[in-house]
Amino acid sequence: MNELTIRLGQDSDQRYLVEWLLQPGVLEGFPLTDIREIEDAARIWVSYWKYGAVLTALWNGVPCGIANLYLQPYKKLSHQCLFAIIIDQNHQKKGIGTKLMQELIKLAKEKFHLEFIHLEVYAGNPAINLYRKLGFEQYGTHPKFIKDGNRYIDKILMQKYL
Amino acid sequence: MSSFDIRYSEMSDLSFLQRVFEVPKACDDFPFGPEEKDEALKNWIGFSRFKASLTGIMNDTPCAIGTLFLMPYKKVAHQASFYLIVDPDYRRQGIGTSLVRNLAHLAKTRFRLECINVEFFEPSHLIPLLQKLHFASVFRQENYVKTDGERRPRIVMEQWLS
Repeated sequence: MNELTIRLGQDSDQRYLVEWLLQPGVLEGFPLTDIREIEDAARIWVSYWKYGAVLTALWNGVPCGIANLYLQPYKKLSHQCLFAIIIDQNHQKKGIGTKLMQELIKLAKEKFHLEFIHLEVYAGNPAINLYRKLGFEQYGTHPKFIKDGNRYIDKILMQKYL
Repeated sequence: MSSFDIRYSEMSDLSFLQRVFEVPKACDDFPFGPEEKDEALKNWIGFSRFKASLTGIMNDTPCAIGTLFLMPYKKVAHQASFYLIVDPDYRRQGIGTSLVRNLAHLAKTRFRLECINVEFFEPSHLIPLLQKLHFASVFRQENYVKTDGERRPRIVMEQWLS
């Protein structure tokens, strides 16, 4: 029987994150281009495990998704933060993203007492539907934030009060 | 403005930043607080190593610094945000305006940037300067800053470099 569990993230989860970011098409949703940038972003992303702010989803005991809270380094901003989430392409459409987001929201509220969390996603990313379903609302757009070759892509900004 | 000049910032200009930010209120317009400023100011002046920072000089003494925070990833490297601080004793003399104009020129000619943007918290004395230089509002996020129960929105404005 297939089983989905969620545990706190750990440093060694970084390799899964790099692997998933390298899956075909995934980088279209991230501002990353090459392995140097991917490894740098993955290192920063997973580094929040030290604060207990990373969650890893496991499918039958094997990592299949990671989400984190980018806790703010400054006190006057520490009531809110950005977050990021990624699901292994081989495990999409199983409800893992929804479950991981629900746990991340719970962590943000109960452990870190955050008042709201927010996200940045690129226009056209299908994950926007998941965020809407979970109660996130768009508060802004940053036009032409990404330039991929000669193509500009807008950044959509969403948030949810907890 | 006869004795006013602008040069590339140097690491030693950290002492100017430290002096200006000795007044706790100086942190009000920045994300870091008085107890967090040491690391933040070192990071700020660190961009002088890339020649991405300009220092305004009045009578051979630094009176202002404007710095481009260059983006680390290629897909977003066509733009950068900036910080600006003018010594309170030298405000309302056009120094900030001059520095931002020169930052825009530096961004365009040295770094081939297409756009510069700035994030600030409302209310901010930066607004008239940005309006004068035809910066356009990009987005606004309510409650981004929380200090002693007071909440302030963050606003991002940008200027495309023609």
